[in-house]
Amino acid sequence: MIEAARDGAIVAFVLLGLFFTFVSTAGVLRLPDIYSRAHTASQADTLGAGFTLAAVALAIGFETGSYKTVLLLFFIFITNPTAAHAISRAAEEQGIEPWTTDDDQTDEELYRDSKLETDGGDNE
Amino acid sequence: MVFVRPHTPFFNELFPCDLHTQSIGGGGRPVPDNRLLVPVAESSTLRQTVEYAVRTALEGTGSGYLEFVYVHSPEVSDERLGDQAEANIETVTALLDRITVWAEEDAGDNSKELTVESTHVGRDRYLFSPGDVGTALAAVANRNDIERMVLDPEYNPGVGSPLLRPLEVELTRLTDVPVEEAPVQRQVRRPPLLLRSSSIQAGALFFVSFMFYQVLAGTFGLFDLVTGAISGTIVAVSLSRITFNHDPSVSWIGRLARFVVFVPYLFWEILKANVLVAKVILQPGLPIEPRLTRVDTAVWGSLPVTTLANSITLTPGTLTVRVEGRSLMVHTLVPGAREDLFDGGLERAVRFVFYGRNAMSMPTPRERDDTTILQPRDESKSLESDGGPHSSGKTAGESGGDEQ
Repeated sequence: MIEAARDGAIVAFVLLGLFFTFVSTAGVLRLPDIYSRAHTASQADTLGAGFTLAAVALAIGFETGSYKTVLLLFFIFITNPTAAHAISRAAEEQGIEPWTTDDDQTDEELYRDSKLETDGGDNE
Repeated sequence: MVFVRPHTPFFNELFPCDLHTQSIGGGGRPVPDNRLLVPVAESSTLRQTVEYAVRTALEGTGSGYLEFVYVHSPEVSDERLGDQAEANIETVTALLDRITVWAEEDAGDNSKELTVESTHVGRDRYLFSPGDVGTALAAVANRNDIERMVLDPEYNPGVGSPLLRPLEVELTRLTDVPVEEAPVQRQVRRPPLLLRSSSIQAGALFFVSFMFYQVLAGTFGLFDLVTGAISGTIVAVSLSRITFNHDPSVSWIGRLARFVVFVPYLFWEILKANVLVAKVILQPGLPIEPRLTRVDTAVWGSLPVTTLANSITLTPGTLTVRVEGRSLMVHTLVPGAREDLFDGGLERAVRFVFYGRNAMSMPTPRERDDTTILQPRDESKSLESDGGPHSSGKTAGESGGDEQ
């Protein structure tokens, strides 16, 4: 019984991790500019990797080295924002202006604008 | 190019040099001889530095003038933090009083010809790097027509990395005042690798790296203990100087304990934000509303600011783009994330970690009016004015323009 519950939890965690990694990928593809993409890229690392590592810890069990997954998560949590910050800071230093939208824009315009930014990067 | 000087006190403090020197040159005011400035802090060679400074000030003709300046480190740069800052002020006053007594003692019979003054700077400001300290000292030097600066070889203002050289370089760059190092006799010549790192720092670093090694090894066997001790020693000897600015104190245990409380809170915030952003991304209309914002956070010191900036970036929906002192430029993706940022939950949590429970009661960034939305970019306006987002990063001085 306990084994079955554990397996279920492992599967649930892996699925959750996959879900957030999927959302992150979708975000990178859909969002308009480098800044907003940097937001969603951190999702894959935080919850995507977080849930997957939780599943790994459960699968390994508590005796051998499952604490290393906690360490892994710790280092991911330090390096991920550092990298995201470095990228966005570099973009800002290059003078890339964040993409904005007005509230009254329609979906079609939003889509068209996002396509423009995505394809050409028409920042000056 | 016309350079507009923003009317903020901070800016005027930072760049007083040009106006001030002009007024001296134009007025032709007589400058007395031997005016010295000595930055001071607790150090083993402080007594000798004071003695040397007094001797130099009394050399030659005319009266001497000595100004001792204490530079506060960023951890205590705000009076709102209560008891700790109060105690710190008392210590600093006591130190400056002691130095004044020493100087008068050294002057002896000539004490009438010597004017001794002391001051402390940086309490109301955030002095982040050797450059900031240099600017603050240069401001004092300009105000008092200082002719020479004397540096204590063991002087360490506790800002940034504990190095004297960068400060000397910055001072030479920022002022025309000659800078010299006081010739003092140091008690011990330490080997170069251990220069200016205390045994407490080396010990703490050894402990941390040794424990980390054992955790990775996982067995606590004899082989691991021996190799771990060797590796830990190498790390402690070679790196303790750049790992710590100060001796680690007991308060760090409290901070570590509070950090453990902070981590679940951070996880919860990350989870909430992830769900929020996931909902937005998966909607066909993609209802995002990205805005660049600026938040002047109420945390001080490089480690707390780094912790806060990284926590903000870890939370989806908010992304730290730039850090200037304690002012963060944050890109926000959706209004919900922006509200959370301005409500300052993470900021309060970081304050709790580093300053304890009573620092949590400070008002939120929104209540303090420390938040600015740097956009929206109107197509018509963006070309003529509002160079906000990208020009502000190029020079530190221009960032003051946003408050106008």
